[in-house]
Formats: sequence, structure tokens, C-alpha cells
Amino acid sequence: MKTRIKELRARYELTQEDLAKKVGVRRETILFIEKGNYNPSLQLAHDIAKALQTTIDDLFVFEEE
Amino acid sequence: MKAKKEIIVATILVAMVLVTLFLYLIGTREIEYNQIVSIGIVLVLVGLAMYIIWDKIRNIQKGLPGKDERVISISHKAGYYGFIAAIWSAVLIPTMIDIIFGYELDAGDISAIVVLVSGFVFVVSYLYLYQKGK
Repeated sequence: MKTRIKELRARYELTQEDLAKKVGVRRETILFIEKGNYNPSLQLAHDIAKALQTTIDDLFVFEEE
Repeated sequence: MKAKKEIIVATILVAMVLVTLFLYLIGTREIEYNQIVSIGIVLVLVGLAMYIIWDKIRNIQKGLPGKDERVISISHKAGYYGFIAAIWSAVLIPTMIDIIFGYELDAGDISAIVVLVSGFVFVVSYLYLYQKGK
């Protein structure tokens, strides 16, 4: 799964730590989500999408196998 | 607040383990080889526990949570691996020692092995999953 978190963070000039504070998780969690190494819960995905003023569909790119 | 309480409890536990180990070493006249290995494993576990506590404190100081859903998830996974290791170590290690050395371990030795192996597997799994991401 790919994400657009890094791109949107850059757009809003947010660091990983800023975003982590906004959604109440550790910085490493944002890092691993960005790298595609961790699949967030639906609640966290929703919170991140809300923080980046977008939707879950727009934020996460699901690839067909 | 809950995270701070957890850190205080964990720090007290680490201190109690170190004090117990210190008192044990003072009371022991002669330390055998297997005791050195056990003490070494305990010290590694204490060191890794201190690292986890320090990591939580660092996050809290930055205004981030001490634990989040990823950390809770990897704690559960590491706990599962530690549990499996406890079961297998209780069965396999005494059997292997009996076959190889012809020496039957008593219940106290087996309990110590189970605690050390499961604790070691838990901490190593936790750190591995922590670095890997999930």
C-alpha cells in the first residue's frame, strides 16, 4: 500500500512530529505508515486524513495484486 | 498520566531486580558458570527494559504519547512469541539437557529457564518488531 502522506505533509509544511502530535501517535508510527511498513487502523487513517484535509481514499493508494 | 504511572512502576521494578541481583551476588560465595549465564541474561533484559522506559520518557517529553496503537500491537505480538517460547522452553530445554548431559533439572531450574527464555524472547521480539514497523 502506498500513501500520499509525505506529499501532503510537505504541502502543509508539517513535519512527521507535527503530524504525530496532531493525531496522537509516535513519530515512528507516521514514518512506518509513510514507508508502507505499517497499516494503520481505520480510526488512525481517518485522523491522519482529517489532519491533512483529505479523505482516506485519497490518502492511501491500494494496489491490486 | 497513565503513561507516567507505568514509567514509575517499570522503573521501580527495574530497580528491584537490580537490588535483588546485587543482594544475591553478595550472598553467593562461589558463582558457577550457569549462574553467570543467567545473570548475564537478566542484565541484558534489565538493559533493554531501561531502553524501552527511556524511549517512552523521550516521547512524553516531546509531547507525544508513550505508546500508541502500533506499540500496543507489537507488545501483543511480542507477548505471544514470549508465551510460545515459555511453553517450548519448559518442554525442550530440560529434555535436551537430559539427553545430551544425562542431567535432570529440578523444578526451580526449569522455572528460572522459562522466565529467562520467555523474557528474552519477548524483549528481542519487541525490539525487532519496533525497528521493523509492524
